[in-house]
Amino acid sequence: MASSSSKPFLPSTRREFLRTAGRGIGLLAFAQYAPSFLTASTLAGAPAPEKDRPILVLVQLAGGNDGLNTLIPFEDAHYYRLRPTLGIAKDRVLRVGDTLGLHPACAPLHSLFHDGKLSIVQNVGYPNPNRSHFRSTEIWETASPSDEFLTTGWVGRYLDNACAGQPATSDPLALHISDSLPQSFVGGEEHATFGLSPGLRNFRENEENRRLLSALAHEPGDAPGGNDTFLRHTLMDALVNEQRVSAILAKDRPEVTYPTNNFASSLASVAALVAAGLPTRVYFVSLTGFDTHSNQANQHANLLTTLSEGLAAFQKDLEARKLDGQVLTMTFSEFGRRPNENESRGTDHGTAAPLFVLGSKTKGGLHGTAPSLDLAANQDMRFSTDFRAVYATALDRWLGSPSEKILGAPFAPLGFV
Amino acid sequence: MRFRKFLPPPLQPGGVAGVFERMATTLTPTEAWEPLPASRWDASAAAHLLRRTGWSATPAEVARATADGLAPTLDRLFPGTPATIAKPDSVTRLREYAPEYVKQLAAANPVEKRQLQKEARERSQQALQDTGLRWLDFAAQPATAAQAKWVLFLSDVYVVSAEKVKNAALIWSHFDRIALHSLGPAPELTKAISRSPAMIEYLDLNQNRREAPNENFARELFELFLLGEGHYTERDIKESARAFTGYRQRFGEFFYAARQHDYGEKTIFGRTGHFTGDDVIALAYRQPAAGTFLPHELAKFYLTDEPLPAAQLEALGAWWSAHDYNLRALAQRFFASQLFFDQEYRANFIKSPVQLYLGLVQDLNLDVTPVPRLVLNPLRQMGQALYNPPNVRGWVGGRNWINSATLAARRRLVGALFNPLNEDKLNADEIAALNAARARGETKFSVDNAVFADLAKLDPAAAADRLLGNFLAAPVSSAFRDTVRQFLTSGAHDDASRLRQLRRTATVLMESSEYQLC
Repeated sequence: MASSSSKPFLPSTRREFLRTAGRGIGLLAFAQYAPSFLTASTLAGAPAPEKDRPILVLVQLAGGNDGLNTLIPFEDAHYYRLRPTLGIAKDRVLRVGDTLGLHPACAPLHSLFHDGKLSIVQNVGYPNPNRSHFRSTEIWETASPSDEFLTTGWVGRYLDNACAGQPATSDPLALHISDSLPQSFVGGEEHATFGLSPGLRNFRENEENRRLLSALAHEPGDAPGGNDTFLRHTLMDALVNEQRVSAILAKDRPEVTYPTNNFASSLASVAALVAAGLPTRVYFVSLTGFDTHSNQANQHANLLTTLSEGLAAFQKDLEARKLDGQVLTMTFSEFGRRPNENESRGTDHGTAAPLFVLGSKTKGGLHGTAPSLDLAANQDMRFSTDFRAVYATALDRWLGSPSEKILGAPFAPLGFV
Repeated sequence: MRFRKFLPPPLQPGGVAGVFERMATTLTPTEAWEPLPASRWDASAAAHLLRRTGWSATPAEVARATADGLAPTLDRLFPGTPATIAKPDSVTRLREYAPEYVKQLAAANPVEKRQLQKEARERSQQALQDTGLRWLDFAAQPATAAQAKWVLFLSDVYVVSAEKVKNAALIWSHFDRIALHSLGPAPELTKAISRSPAMIEYLDLNQNRREAPNENFARELFELFLLGEGHYTERDIKESARAFTGYRQRFGEFFYAARQHDYGEKTIFGRTGHFTGDDVIALAYRQPAAGTFLPHELAKFYLTDEPLPAAQLEALGAWWSAHDYNLRALAQRFFASQLFFDQEYRANFIKSPVQLYLGLVQDLNLDVTPVPRLVLNPLRQMGQALYNPPNVRGWVGGRNWINSATLAARRRLVGALFNPLNEDKLNADEIAALNAARARGETKFSVDNAVFADLAKLDPAAAADRLLGNFLAAPVSSAFRDTVRQFLTSGAHDDASRLRQLRRTATVLMESSEYQLC
């Protein structure tokens, strides 16, 4: 392990691996601990993953986005009754229809809407809504009815279905840029997933230490057991992926200038990884801070600016790289907020809210129906589009996987793709 | 609550199927639970016992246990009287303030109310963090590590979540109750749990009324606390829910609302009578499944991802029910057994995040850093937010702890402990907590070179062997050993560089997959 060598110690492509193997690390001695992309493809002769497959990017708006101040029913007197101080005046909204307009901070999304690259699905929620952040996030991520607890996530079950019968691979099929593994990624079977911390670009581990760790990870142990092998395998995969992903990110030059915030750089990383041809089918990024219980106006405007500018830069970057036809981006939030504002000029946990679908292949326009706001104090909106119908659309019409099998029930697809 | 069951992830980690399947234990059910013969009690067995009942096996503790013998060691780890933790002041204040808070809320206008609620949330948050740090401190002491882990195990059966309970005083008292009854008869523990204010909130006993029984607690009592699925009927649940009507809590104290209780006749497990909640618990403990359920959970928490063979479990279950379901007796029977020390169960269990952290603290001779952000956040990132298990089943454990993100978080934690605390980045509260800890004599918040002073005097081969032997549960291959020795030698030409290489080697060993096993 010459510390002077600038060559990565671990092979990160099949070709590199074969070169390493030629230098004397025998494949058979190595196979039990090798990253599975090496063993699976070398041993089983699996075909390389298809290029140009459709990719889904999930954008979590964590904390519960105030849908009513995102897509504003500016002709509805009830709206201004419920929002005496937080209501956005009719002449400030960015119109997307005769009665609806986007928050003024959404100008970049407004242009995308006019170009037909942004669909807005209205009033999305589910029956018997739960108002706990934790539980409602779990419901969205596992795509369960609100009185049922599922251990697997909808993306995980999609991977179970899409990868059935295929050899295991260590190429990450789903990749998240967030501190913890999204529950949506958990499958009934193990799939390679990979996580990046939002601030990873600054994370530099001592290179010498990493080489030693890599070397130890593929020294066969004396007493190999199930968990020992599992851990080596996961660590090897993580190290290989970490090295590959950091190499891609270090080299990548986006085609546009992204805003300087963690959310935008997460999206820039996704664009770079898509451009590098990773076989990843689902990406997950997160923007937090939507839990606006008090003094909401400025915070919410800033969040929507961050969201809109980030998404617009991402779309422009993908277009410049000619990858826009391959990527569909969808936002979600655990719940919307209470229609009537509270006494602290904020809003409390609510139920349904609109969500955005972005991409060159989305049909654009408004989908679903607007909620009725003829509500008493502290009464919540009633959803009109089930979030699982949004998932069903993405699964059936974008990812090409049978939604009924993954969601456990049939949901009529919507028209956004 | 209802769960749709999915199959657990397959145990094959990819690679070549079947190569590493282990031999099932060959012990007969009777032999399995007999104590390990004294002739087989050695340093390696002691290390196994210490790692599984606690968090690590430091050379000093291994030497002590080896010399003392197995039975005396178990008597010390699981004593007759459980140790208790002093209640943090913030928890006491939270409790004292509760009646006043209710009065203030009633008198407040909406703006004031919101402010009061915000302050209450912050007080509770602070108290919960103090509770967590206090427990970690207690758990890190070799004298009480096994008891702390035992309580953690029981709390992973009798699950509550701060996220729902929302009041740290209730969480504190729930854990206190568990500790108090952790080494006595299990039925007493169950009865105490049915009166735990946190449980009353968590599983909606407070909404269990004569006219409208709420089945949440009764269902989990049978399914997740005492018997397991398939050992009761829906009718047993419905009738038992009626028996638990009237269980209430106010300001964190249990009280029995006699007028809410349903005094009618109930038929439970085929018996009919005017049963109370305590009667239901007694009836449940008469079911054969009560003998095997907790031992099954015990094996899953401490020993192995694969369920024990039914015959072994039944043998232990029969023994335990014949011993009045005494928890201390169960612990001592289990951890003394030939089965527990079987080669099949050595050095192949994945450490929980709490075990990883406390193991690092003990292996590296550290104090628990009194800054919640630096301790509780890493635990959350590794997948174990203290007092907030993912749901009423508790943490699943095993391979579910491990994915690329949690492995990265484990490595970040090791890195953080090896780097000096950056006090410039602490806020005023954190500085105050740090100073208070220093005043108590706790000063070791990152790895000190003194830990490696003895090793630095050895030649690299011997130093490598000591590092591997002290830190890793499993023996390693000679190639692994050579790689470590080589790294230790490279660039180590004087005392300073020798120390540096020792630190680096220790860092990497603790990030390695081997260190994740116990």
